Amino acid sequence: MSSIRYFARFGVTEALVADALSAALSRGGDFADVFFQHRVSNDLALEDGAVNRAYTTVELGVGVRVVKGDQTGYGYTEDLSPAALRACAETAAAIASGPARPAPQRFHVPSRLPDRYRLQTPWEEVRPEAKLPLLEGVNARVFAADPRVKKVSVHFRDEAGAVLVATSDGRLVEDLQPMTLLYVSCLAEQGGRREQGGYNVAGRAGFDFYAPDRVDRVVREAVARTAILFEAGPAPAGELPVVLAAGSSGILLHEAIGHGMEADFNRKNVSIYADKIGKAIAKPFVNIVDDAANEGARGAINVDDEGNAAGTTRLVEDGVLATYLHDAISAKHYGVAPTGNGRRQGYAYPPLPRMRSTYMLPGPHKREEIIQSVKKGIYCENFTNGQVNIGAGDFTFYVKNGWLIEDGKLTRPIKDVNIIGNGPKVLEQVDMVSDDLAIDEGGWTCGKDGQSVPVSQGLPTVRVASLTVGGRGNG
Amino acid sequence: MASDLLKVAEETVALALRKGAREAAGGAYRVRSVEVQWRDGQLEKVTEATTRGLGLELYVDGRYSAVSTADLRPEAVEQFVADAIALTRTLTPDPYRALPDPRLYEGRSTLALDLEDPRYGELDAARRVDLARALEESARAVKGAEAILSVTTGFGDTLGESARVHSNGFSGARRVTDFGLSAQVSVKDPDGRRPEDWDAAGGRHFRALPAPERVGRAAAERALARIGSRKGESGRFTVAVENRSAARLLGFLLGPMTAAALQQKRSFLDGKLGAQIGSARLELADDPLVPRGLGSRLWDSEGIAARRFPLFEAGALRSYFVDNYYGRKLGMAPTSRGMSNLAWKLGEHGQDRLLAELGEGLLVTGFLGGNSNSTTGDFSLGAQGFRVRGGQLAEPVGEMNLSGNHLELWPHLAGVGNDPYPWSAARTPTLVFEGVQVAGT
Repeated sequence: MSSIRYFARFGVTEALVADALSAALSRGGDFADVFFQHRVSNDLALEDGAVNRAYTTVELGVGVRVVKGDQTGYGYTEDLSPAALRACAETAAAIASGPARPAPQRFHVPSRLPDRYRLQTPWEEVRPEAKLPLLEGVNARVFAADPRVKKVSVHFRDEAGAVLVATSDGRLVEDLQPMTLLYVSCLAEQGGRREQGGYNVAGRAGFDFYAPDRVDRVVREAVARTAILFEAGPAPAGELPVVLAAGSSGILLHEAIGHGMEADFNRKNVSIYADKIGKAIAKPFVNIVDDAANEGARGAINVDDEGNAAGTTRLVEDGVLATYLHDAISAKHYGVAPTGNGRRQGYAYPPLPRMRSTYMLPGPHKREEIIQSVKKGIYCENFTNGQVNIGAGDFTFYVKNGWLIEDGKLTRPIKDVNIIGNGPKVLEQVDMVSDDLAIDEGGWTCGKDGQSVPVSQGLPTVRVASLTVGGRGNG
Repeated sequence: MASDLLKVAEETVALALRKGAREAAGGAYRVRSVEVQWRDGQLEKVTEATTRGLGLELYVDGRYSAVSTADLRPEAVEQFVADAIALTRTLTPDPYRALPDPRLYEGRSTLALDLEDPRYGELDAARRVDLARALEESARAVKGAEAILSVTTGFGDTLGESARVHSNGFSGARRVTDFGLSAQVSVKDPDGRRPEDWDAAGGRHFRALPAPERVGRAAAERALARIGSRKGESGRFTVAVENRSAARLLGFLLGPMTAAALQQKRSFLDGKLGAQIGSARLELADDPLVPRGLGSRLWDSEGIAARRFPLFEAGALRSYFVDNYYGRKLGMAPTSRGMSNLAWKLGEHGQDRLLAELGEGLLVTGFLGGNSNSTTGDFSLGAQGFRVRGGQLAEPVGEMNLSGNHLELWPHLAGVGNDPYPWSAARTPTLVFEGVQVAGT
């Protein structure tokens, strides 16, 4: 029996893969891999009370990468015929210029991968009619929950498909990678004012992901996060203590340290963390990981897009920077084992070191104690987006909902404020960490070099002694 | 030629009708792209590919879906279309879904937009690498270059071919080329940080690009100017936003001008057609018919014949971006689904003179994250740039934030430069705003 299961339906065989790798190494590259991808995404959207639009996207293609030293040649095609694949491999091969190197004719296929995305039923077997009641039910319940709601949109997505990676050192691995996402947005009116809010959930899971308690939460949070905006005012401007709620506040880690720890930036000497491995950068109770193994999480993977095992990577251990996030090129450059962070958006992109699920482990403090410790500051609950300058270390995250903290109490809601800080400075200023770690269930997507990949993030309640709050008026 | 794509689009539409669609729009594309990246004295990465696919919008029994596939094996396409039609039949009918009125296809301009460089095929691998190398060499030749830690440069070019066919009479095909140069420079700040900045240029014709030396030098000078950056103080300031950064701010004003945002009540500009939104200096139009323009087109993404229309005149809102579907829902005539090129009423002076007139304030040279609430107009944006003192650029500042509401910001537009940023479709000039809330220390 062939070792290739999923991609056999497209005529992909070990001989085809071996031929492509042989062409890839025809000019003396050190290393080569081929990455096949098939992904079928189905989107259903409800607007103005009806599921009245559907979108289907079929992606199918193959990328061939050749590495020579730190240099990469890359080609890709949607045509999986032997001739097209060979031509694509020869294009990538041109990064090197030397005698051909031998390519493997047989592959080692791992007997089993971890099983981090368990589905009761594959998405291919879920009929569209079965999905519609989910969207319609959420719509009806959001309207019923608050008479101020005037518009609701619900967006549902499922993805099915697989990747196949085969490398010039003889590994071949296939991984089936499901994904689903439900996004609810609602618009409410009160006294001539309008506010829009929402909630979303995502995971590498099947239709059973939408268990009653999760759907209840989607409805409840979408309404609550919108309604509170009518009570909310602008945040103050200036430097203040900031408390981050447990959960999606993990965006702080993603921006303040995660990107700066991606090894490609350090290999190029352009990250603010480029010479800090082994150094203390935070209080001893700060532990940060990037984890492929959160079962069912949006950021979970069984194997990375270079075919390397993906597990739990300790970024910061007891306040000390432990390791970067590596892909194959950077791991070779630093002489360490890959950490399973080589990821790509799809077959049209070479892999890069990327985060998976990034979070901080629980610490010694209590949530109440942290809030009570702040005389005047802000408490951040929900976020939309963030960004970082890798070298200067400046980063931002945008707070959609939060609270003002006055004399140790949450006093009034605030909204729409950007927070800005500097990565290493902020990590030094994380001075309280609670025991209530939560991994957010939202549909986060990380962009880098024009490539988007799904990620997760989490945090226990944390206090940062000072950050710049981009609000209005005087602090 | 794109004529083979036109044939694919026609055949796909015909297949959809055979399988039961009442109407259909089909599109096919093919893109050839080459990208060379160079870093610190050697080639870093070369990516080269020809990619293709097709898309289909289906109108079946009053229901709508849009699908696309890269799996073009004939038997796969046949099954794909059949599945898509079955999927569409499961949805709720929507009386507003139909192809555009064919009259909107009429009157297509015959202007030669000159979007394809006839000499595209002359570029070869060696020339691309030479350009990327020249970008780095010029970056490293600037004064103060010993502080440079790393230079990454790139050159890329694409030839895009596409065709679109509607079952009610639209058909069009086009070929466009794009060429781009870029340079990113990281420098060592004595305080341990590694600030970076970039410069880039791109256009439809290779010979219209600036010399790589100019781009490389600008990137290095910009990065070196970030050394010593500190957080400035909080307060209300007059803020100039340099031309290339102004597009982000403007995007938050244009986004809520779409019919989709209006119909879904997610727009702070709802009900404001004809109202004064900005100061009298805010005057711009959407102009799809600019020769060689990065957003130029003879028809929009729905086949509607492209024409110029005003967005703001002396600060008053004149048009929304109205597409076919939401236009029907709102009872508004379509203009275009989205922005093409912007044509600004420019001011008389460049950035230097605007800063001299500004006196005390800030020049923003980059935004970092942040967001804008399209429903309320509230925004909060990370920013870096320079303090302006006595009408002159002073120390670099970073880790700052601008906030406010668009309905308060644009009436305070006090200056518009004569310097549209040439390498983008938005062609934003330097913009000066008074009384902006800035957060820092």
